[in-house]
Order: sequence, then C-alpha cells, then structure tokens
Amino acid sequence: MTKKHLLVAGTFVVLLGALAVTESVLNQRVDAQEAGGTVRAPRFEVDPLWPKPLPNNWILGQAIGVWADEQDLVWIVHRGSATLADTEKALELKNGECCAAAPPVLAFDAAGNLVRSWGGPGQGYDWPSANHGIFVDHLGSVWIGGNGPGDSHLVKFTKDGKFLQQFGRPDARRGPPNAQGQPTYVGGSNDQQNFGRIAKIFVDPKANEAFLADGYLNKRVAVVDGASGKMKRYWGAYGNKPDDTPVPAYDPAAPPAQQFRNPVHCAMLSLDGLLYVCDRNSDRLQVFKPDGTFVREVFITRGTKASGSVWDVAFSRDPQQQYLYVTDGMNNRVYVLRRDTLEVLTSFGTGGRQPGQFFGVHSIASDSKGNLYTTETWEGKRLQKFVYRGIASVPRRHQGVVWPRS
Amino acid sequence: MRSVALIALVLLAIPAPALAHDIPDSAVVQAFLKPEGDRLRFLIRVPLEAMADIEVPRRGQGYIDLANADAALRAAAIVWIGRQVAIYEEGTRLAEPVLMAVQVSLPSDLSFREYETAHAHVTGTRLADDVDLYWEQAFLDASFEYPIASDQSRFAINPGLRTLAQRVTLSLRLLTPDGGDRAFQLHDDPGLVQLDPRWHQAAGRFVTSGFAHILDGTDHLLFLLCLVIPLRRMRTLVAVVTSFTAAHSVTLIASAYGVAPDALWFPPLVETLIAASIVYMALENIVAANVMHRWVITFAFGLVHGFGFSFALRDTLQFAGSHLLTSLLAFNVGVEAGQLLVLLLVVPVLNLLFRHVVAERTGTIVLSAIVAHTAWHWMTERGAQLLLFPAPALDAAFLLAAVRWTMGLVIAGGVIWIARILWPSGFRWTRETL
Repeated sequence: MTKKHLLVAGTFVVLLGALAVTESVLNQRVDAQEAGGTVRAPRFEVDPLWPKPLPNNWILGQAIGVWADEQDLVWIVHRGSATLADTEKALELKNGECCAAAPPVLAFDAAGNLVRSWGGPGQGYDWPSANHGIFVDHLGSVWIGGNGPGDSHLVKFTKDGKFLQQFGRPDARRGPPNAQGQPTYVGGSNDQQNFGRIAKIFVDPKANEAFLADGYLNKRVAVVDGASGKMKRYWGAYGNKPDDTPVPAYDPAAPPAQQFRNPVHCAMLSLDGLLYVCDRNSDRLQVFKPDGTFVREVFITRGTKASGSVWDVAFSRDPQQQYLYVTDGMNNRVYVLRRDTLEVLTSFGTGGRQPGQFFGVHSIASDSKGNLYTTETWEGKRLQKFVYRGIASVPRRHQGVVWPRS
Repeated sequence: MRSVALIALVLLAIPAPALAHDIPDSAVVQAFLKPEGDRLRFLIRVPLEAMADIEVPRRGQGYIDLANADAALRAAAIVWIGRQVAIYEEGTRLAEPVLMAVQVSLPSDLSFREYETAHAHVTGTRLADDVDLYWEQAFLDASFEYPIASDQSRFAINPGLRTLAQRVTLSLRLLTPDGGDRAFQLHDDPGLVQLDPRWHQAAGRFVTSGFAHILDGTDHLLFLLCLVIPLRRMRTLVAVVTSFTAAHSVTLIASAYGVAPDALWFPPLVETLIAASIVYMALENIVAANVMHRWVITFAFGLVHGFGFSFALRDTLQFAGSHLLTSLLAFNVGVEAGQLLVLLLVVPVLNLLFRHVVAERTGTIVLSAIVAHTAWHWMTERGAQLLLFPAPALDAAFLLAAVRWTMGLVIAGGVIWIARILWPSGFRWTRETL
C-alpha cells in the first residue's frame, strides 16, 4: 500500500461519503414534497408516437367517440368530410394530394396500426347524418349513435362493417318548417320507439340492456333491449319523468336544474351496477341505479359555461373500478376522480395541439391494461393514447401535460 | 351415434387447411398445456373467422345457429387444430389428440385468462340457442387430451397454425406439475419450440441468436470496423473486443433482470448513443488520437450497446426456460464469436488494402470518414426521435436519481481500482498490448 494508494482510497471514501449525505438530504426533500402537494392516483404519460400515421392520405374529422374492446382494439368514430375545411380535403376535391376523410369507423391495434376502416351510408339502413359515440358490445357488435338534425335512431354493425340492426327511424322528431322554410325538430323524451340524437351507448352484458345517453335533442337516459331495441325504461335528471320544456341557460349560482340540459352526453354502467350520466352543459355527473333510481350527483369545475365540463366517463380497469376519468372539452383536461367519493384527485392536459394537449377533448375509453384513449372534436380532430404508469404520487391539483418521463 | 356420423361427414367434406379462403389480417390464439399423470390437456381458443372453410350453420343476419352448430364446430376443432398442432414428448411426436369438448364463446368472454376458468368454461354450459352472435365474432374453444408417458417429461410444440391468418400470435402457457407457469408468445411459424429446454438446448439457441444478431446489426458491425481500422494486430483486437463483450454482458444481463429504465425515452436514447459511439470512434481514427486506452472507451460504449442488445432479446427470452443466465451468457458468446469471425475476415482485407492500394493513414481517414458520415445520419435521425421527449425537470427527484447513479459508478470504479492493485497481472494487457 503506497502513499498514492492511500490518497486515492481516502478521496474515494470522502467522495462516497459526500454523495451519501447528498442522497440522504435529497431523499428527505423528495419525501417532504410528495407528502405535501401530491396524492396517490393513477399516473399517465402521453404516447407521442401512437397511433401510427393513417394510410391513403386519410385525415380525421371531428372525432366524437372512442371505445376499447375486449381484445384491446381501439375503435373511434369521427365525422369525416362534413367537418373538414376545403383546405384539409384537397384530395377529395381533386385540388391536390392531401387529404381525404378517412371512413367514419376506424380501429387501431395496440401498436397503433389501423386494422379496420369502414362506415358511411349504405343499403338497408340509415347511417346517421352526424354519427356520434361508438360502443362494441359483449357480442362483438358495433353500436353507433348520431346527433345530426334528423338522427332519432341508432345503428348496429359487425366488426367488419356488415349491417345488423337499426333501432328507431330517422326524422322521427321532425316538426313543421319554420318561417324560413327550414325543418324544425322537437324533443320527444317520452317516445317509446324513437330517440332524439343519441350521444353515447353502453350495453350491459349481464342483462343485454343498452343504456343510451339520449341526448342532444331528448333529455333522458333510455334503456332498450340489446337484441330487439324495445324500450324498457327511461328517466330524466334525478330520476324524474323527462320533460322537453327548454331549461334556462346554465347559471352556476342558480339551483340545479331538475331536468337534464342538452346534451345528455354519456351513460356508463360500472361493474357494481351504478350508472354515471354526463349532464354536460350543467357541469354535473349524476349517478343512478340501473332502474333509474337517483343516487347522487357531483359538479366538476362548476363555473364552466357554454359547452360545460362533464363530457364523457371511463372507468379504471382494476376489479373495483376505483377511479373515474372524466373529459372536459371546454377546459381541455381529463379529471381523475375517486369513484367511491367522487372527489377530484387530480387532472391532466392543457389546451393546445401538441401531444398530451387537447382541443375539445370529447370522448374517453380505457383498455385492459389501464391505458386511456381520448378523441377530440372541433378543430382537435385526433386520437391520443395515455400510457398507464400505475398508482403513484402525482400533483394533487392539475398536472398539466403528462409528458413521458420515466 | 348420429352426431359421430355427422362429424365424419363434415370431416370428409372439409379439405385440409389451405390458403383458399379470405384470410384475416391477424389472429390471436390463446392456449394452455397442462401435463397431468398420463395425459396432457390442451386448451385452445381460436377466432372462428380464421376457420372460414368451416360452414357453421347460421340464421338471420349471419348469427350462429347454436342449436345445430355442434358437429361443424367439432369438425373445425379437429381439422384446424387437432391435426395441425404437433406436440412432442422427449423428442417423439405424440399421436393425434382426442377432442374432449368444444364451445362457442362471446368475444367478451375472459375465461382464458387462467387455466382453471378456461377449463371450466370449455367443459361447462354452452351459450343459449337464442343468443345473436354473429359468426365471425365468436371464438371457438376446444379441449384436447394427449396420452403421455409421464407428466415429468419434457415437451415441445410446433403449432402449425400459420394458415389461420396473415399474422398469427399464439399466447401459450405451460403449467407444470410442480406449479410452474411458463408463458410463451409465438408468432406465425416459430418451428419446433422446446417448452422446457435443457441448458444445452437453451444455450445452443442463444449462441446462434447472438451470432446472427451481431452479423445482422449494421451499427454494431460499423462500431467494430472503427475499432479494427487502426488496430489490426489480432492479439490487441481480441483484447479490445473482449472488453466490449464484457461491458455489453453487464448491461444485457442487468436489463434481463429488470434494472434498465422502463421508459419510453430509453430505447431512443440508447439507439442515439450507439450511433454517437460510432461517430466518436470514427473521428478518433481520423484525428489519430492515442488509441492506447481504447479498451476503456470501448468498455464504456459496450455498456450502451448491451442495452441495445437487450431490446433485440426482449421477445426471445421466453425460450430460455429455467436457464435465463445461461441463455444470456450464451447470447454473449454468440456475439463474441460473430465479432471474431468479422475480425478474421476484415483484418486481412484491410492489411491487403493498406499494403497494395492505399497508404494506411489515407485509407484510415477515408474509411473512417465514410463510417462517420453514415453514423452521423443515424445519430441525427435517432436523436430527432429522442427529442420528441422532453428534457427531465431538474428537480429534487431528478437530482436524487443522478446522485444514486453516480454512487453506483463510483463504487464500480473503486472495485476495478482495488482489483488492479490486488491482481496487477490480470490488467497488464491494458498497458502492454495496446
């Protein structure tokens, strides 16, 4: 052992000791930070490389429905050419090479590859004039609603786009023309055969009952038999008999309205039999039993006006479905709620067009691995994936953009 | 008796699986193999749409006529599965299995997540006749049994399911009598797969895999070329290449045991660093830097390349059986052998080139410049992917992680330093051969 060796060894010990002290101090600081402004909740990171580019110079219009089926295929429905500016669809107009609207129904695999594409008008059925909401049931059938002026029906297809069934008929809610000669449409929230611009569909596999968020014209939740489409029951806000009398514009300071406002935008049934209904423009989520008995409600970001703050709901994929994810297209974020208390734990996303940001975040779905998928309407027009990173300490309030980190 | 006759009739009418029907783009097949005493139980779930030559009785809009579908389903199971899947016991192919039960399932059925629920489902009550299940959206579930000599035997499988779809993925689990549960994910036509390989079978497979991987990896080969250009004495090169192999062994094994970061940005970071390592080596050759300590920088870059190898190995470690470490070492042996083969081929060519075609210095600069040019493009392309991810925030959590990594590196450096003092002869080559 030479003097030089001793010097090196001493330096090594001192360096390691200094690092150990630094590590200890930093560890305490991190623990303290986590104990203060953080909360245990599901953590997500946007996957900026998902999905892969669409083929054929296809482009999305307003994307207004998403669902992840049992095989984790991610299905979306979008409004296509009708919601594209001429500058977005030069290929369709034969003005240039970019772009043309993709077919309305698209399915992506876990790697982000487009694996199915179909939809649109055809023989034997009435494709909605503005398709809205998509759901794949336990039999593998694809349900689609619509919120176009005359959409008072829904359609059901196989996964590869073969027509199966149609419940309701279009234009059932059409009234006399107005003074300008334009058609008018009136709500029919007590109609047993037809609907009023269905926003979203959920099928309970146990009872084979379809819960319809009905909708943009009607003000009710409707439950129909999944096989025949026969009406079984329906109800309005608080379980009241629905009433189509116009509800005043939402005032956060006023007592809560006793009827839903339009649109009734989601109806999602949990595994323990609670139905979560989005009263979008009233900033509230109402919870019911499947028979329509009112359980409770919660307001989220209550001061939000115009298009409201409660747009769509997805459940976490643990057996207890401990968490709810709620999209808010006005404030462009996703809220994470405890399902038992309906407390908002945290939220993520900001307005913008980069990965992890939103412009009109409209619909949300979770896959079997707990990943989230969102679609955006208005000028957002896209599908995004948020990778589930487990239960972790996350900022208690708003996380901003959840970029990939570790 | 009537149903047996029906099945026989259907079997006669169905040709062997061929590429005659509309083949689905992809099919995911789930299966369990469980040896129990003198029989091997094989449970399998296949999308019915992948068996399009089978005429399943239908009604209405194309819904399966469940009341009358049994004979067709049994025939489908025998033709598309029983006759195709080849299972081997101790190297001998087992006879065609006996079909014990068959079911049609809903696409939402989750019973194949576990063996017990899958078995209960396949042998349980079938769907009600009035369920409107569109035929292409159903699963066909089947239970087969093979007579075997012992449940302690080693088994192998050649799935033979390639004709089901353009891309076939088989998720297979082997449940051994001692409670072991080994999962495989096989794609398309994987050939014969040893489900419980002996150590030499696993090692053989991974030596081959390592050998093929290095010969197929252009970036690794270019890195090797950079090493070779200025150092063409075989003894010197073997030492440097061994340093590279030792380093990538460390990170490859660490990755296999879950030490590497599981983050989206990590693969692009590693790929970018691999390209950067080639650029660095090539530039070092051009500026004629002192290559005496090249083994040190080679060791450092070897650590990075090891992570790169681990990405390639990720899907094949399932074939290691219970010999994970052996397989990893074998993979490294294969890599080393591949590298040595490349050296044996490249060094004489370079010697000839520098002796008869171009002066060594000029040749070194030209070759290194070409390599640097290629690697530079890789580096910028991969770096662009990496830059899609944000730089980490310089907060306490980040500093804590950095301090912990630094401590690890300091400790590793200390261990090497002590080893050099205790066994100076073992490190003499680092001073004498370079």
